[in-house]
Amino acid sequence: MPPRNGSRSLASSARLLRRPSPAQNTRIAATSLNKSFSTSTTRASPPPTSQPTDAAFTTVSPDEVSHFNALASSWWDPQGPSRILHLMNPLRHDFIRSCRASVLDDPPPPSTGLKYLDVGCGGGIFAESAARLPSTASVTAIDPSPEVLSVAKAHARRDPALAEKLSYANTSIEQLPLPQTPQETFDVVSVFEVIEHVSYPAEFLDRCTPFVKPGGWLVLSTIARTWTSWLTTNIMAEDVLRIVPRGTHDWRKYINEEEMRRHFLQKRTGWAEPRCMGVIYIPGFGWKEVSGSEKFGNYFFAVRRVAES
Amino acid sequence: MEAFMLSSRQLRRPAGNICRSCSRRLKLRATRSYSSTSTASTSTSQPDIYDVVCVGGGPAGLSLLAALKANPTTAGLRVALVEAQDLRKLRSWQPPPDRFSNRCSSLTPSSAKFLDRIGAWAHVDRARVQPYHEMQVWDGVSDARIEFDWALDQDAGRAPAGRKIAYMIENLNLTAGLLRRIDELGGVTSFEGAKVEDITFGGETDALDLREWPVVQLAGGKQLAARLLVGADGANSPVRTFAGIDSKGWDYERHGVVATLELEGHGWGGGDDSKIAYQRFLPTGPVAMLPMPGNYSTLVWSTTPANAALLKSLPAKDLVALVNAAFRLSPVDLQFMHTMSSGQEDEVSWRLQHTPVSAPQATPQPVIGVQDGTVASFPLKFRHADTYIGERVALVGDAAHTTHPLAGQGLNQGQGDVEALAGTIEYAVAHGQDLGARMSLEPYLARRYAANHVLMGVVDKLHKLYSVESGPLVPLRSLGLSAVNALAPVKGFFMRQAAGSGGKLF
Repeated sequence: MPPRNGSRSLASSARLLRRPSPAQNTRIAATSLNKSFSTSTTRASPPPTSQPTDAAFTTVSPDEVSHFNALASSWWDPQGPSRILHLMNPLRHDFIRSCRASVLDDPPPPSTGLKYLDVGCGGGIFAESAARLPSTASVTAIDPSPEVLSVAKAHARRDPALAEKLSYANTSIEQLPLPQTPQETFDVVSVFEVIEHVSYPAEFLDRCTPFVKPGGWLVLSTIARTWTSWLTTNIMAEDVLRIVPRGTHDWRKYINEEEMRRHFLQKRTGWAEPRCMGVIYIPGFGWKEVSGSEKFGNYFFAVRRVAES
Repeated sequence: MEAFMLSSRQLRRPAGNICRSCSRRLKLRATRSYSSTSTASTSTSQPDIYDVVCVGGGPAGLSLLAALKANPTTAGLRVALVEAQDLRKLRSWQPPPDRFSNRCSSLTPSSAKFLDRIGAWAHVDRARVQPYHEMQVWDGVSDARIEFDWALDQDAGRAPAGRKIAYMIENLNLTAGLLRRIDELGGVTSFEGAKVEDITFGGETDALDLREWPVVQLAGGKQLAARLLVGADGANSPVRTFAGIDSKGWDYERHGVVATLELEGHGWGGGDDSKIAYQRFLPTGPVAMLPMPGNYSTLVWSTTPANAALLKSLPAKDLVALVNAAFRLSPVDLQFMHTMSSGQEDEVSWRLQHTPVSAPQATPQPVIGVQDGTVASFPLKFRHADTYIGERVALVGDAAHTTHPLAGQGLNQGQGDVEALAGTIEYAVAHGQDLGARMSLEPYLARRYAANHVLMGVVDKLHKLYSVESGPLVPLRSLGLSAVNALAPVKGFFMRQAAGSGGKLF
């Protein structure tokens, strides 16, 4: 849940959301879904210029980019607005490890020399940590926000262990050249706390797909769109406790775990073995895995790209 | 030592977080930048980059290095030891079996378990380690007494195997064992007899920004850049000073007098499998006699600086007499004898005839001799650092806290620190965290600070409680001691805490 600065329109729509009636709630959710996620697959109302070939098409929201640009300088301040992201980071590795360990391939997939693509890397919290793991061969990390990326690059210079494994690119997934050979694909494509900030989530995930190695994993984390998450991530975290900068989250962009599951397994092909882990942040204690909490709060989700036969 | 350096070079594993080629490249780049920014005197040497640089090769520092190298997750880290003393003497430490060093510690079973887990316990000379199974603690003013004995503990199911309260061990035996274990594991770059001239911050090049990395400057020009700089460098820790961490506390105006004593026999239990530790609270401070193998014991007598000076100046026979008196005569008699410049031996034997005799095992067996050259003293202090961590800095052991020796917890606290820090580093490495970042070190602080603080507070209050000679506190504390003594479950609780096998209270 990286922070985003409130652009005027988002801030006012967020204000509209402060006291939703259940009916209004459902309507907003349905509208947002129509615009972004589910309908892009049903084609009932396709998003403008959704053809992957259109070079101008982007899932990047300009408001989001400016929000994160403004937050760039505090990204690595352990007591700053990104503190709870830092605290969440070890769980990402636990989750990826558990996903990779959960399959019984014969022969088992290699446990070293792994290649990561981190989409929407922000200041590089996950990218740096992935690059430090002995099992990692390389990490490619991309983000459309130039300020955030320059913070990431400057921070990586502070650790001599990173230079050989970690490379950053200031680009969106749409602009990243597609892999031409299987060797150019990635064992893990990670999309952490990003999907709730992009304009067309389904298209965005489609753009990520060709980068996933057959047998590799697409791993993401986001927040379920429920009453609880509206209360905890928008009201408590941003307004009351102020542990997340105001305007970071637009609740309408949240996607539920079963929607994610349906998207990959029913509306798309070539995906299997979905995995999920719900996590809860307890102030003063940290992040904790809580089984079933994916239904109402932050969750990790992963699907495996089916190996070509 | 040359042999050690060679073998450690051969055994060094491929680099962990920092690969060798990067550190080579860094050197090249650093050369360029140093030559342009600094004077010729520093341009000749560039920092070697390490994941962990541990300053101080005492029990805490050596345990940490052994723990890191013994764990597969952290074994690949590039680690360095910086120790001011020449460790060759420690490597060849093999004293005669009837001579014991005067610096001994009481090692709890939980510390021993940790040392066993990191593979160091097997390298300790066990013939020189003495477990004890019972404690006799009493108030010198009122004679109220508490006996700690596992046989009395009703909650025996939770007692540690062997029913030992703790192990008495010479500090040199422990450090020699740890060093043997580190040599066996290999992979530690050791700078011995090395003087730390300064600790500074690193520089900046096009590719690297080490301005937040501590760089240890050794005499002779060697520079060690540290992802994590560990201060295991004692109460006057230069690492703590570098980190700007304040250490608060007070001096007790007491000195601890230590000596290796020879007793009349092998203890009241008759052998090494049934030994008793004794501690008597005198108004000037506690005096403790702790069993060593055979008919030896180690003395720790906390007393005023003037008394300590007298004890150190006395001929052996008079010191022996005063030690025997300290466990038997009244505080008033004792005080008088500290005013005598000689002749304590005759005075004690005369006064003992007029002192009522309690059960023999209530006091230690009579002392008959003191080993030459073992009488020494050191000032007692209470110090607690404001924090144990900073950006790329962690403090362990005496660098973090110094306490009164009356509970024998100083060394165990250090081992507890090391266990927690090694666990914190392991978690950081397993999750790709920068192990030197303050955020990665936070769990270490959380696990140790409050625990040490509580324990040190209790120890300090005990000292103050028992330095009162008269008034309402004396019957109250006696009542407390007697009440605890009568309640087996409460005593069991205290013993488990002392043995480190209780709940996670301390």
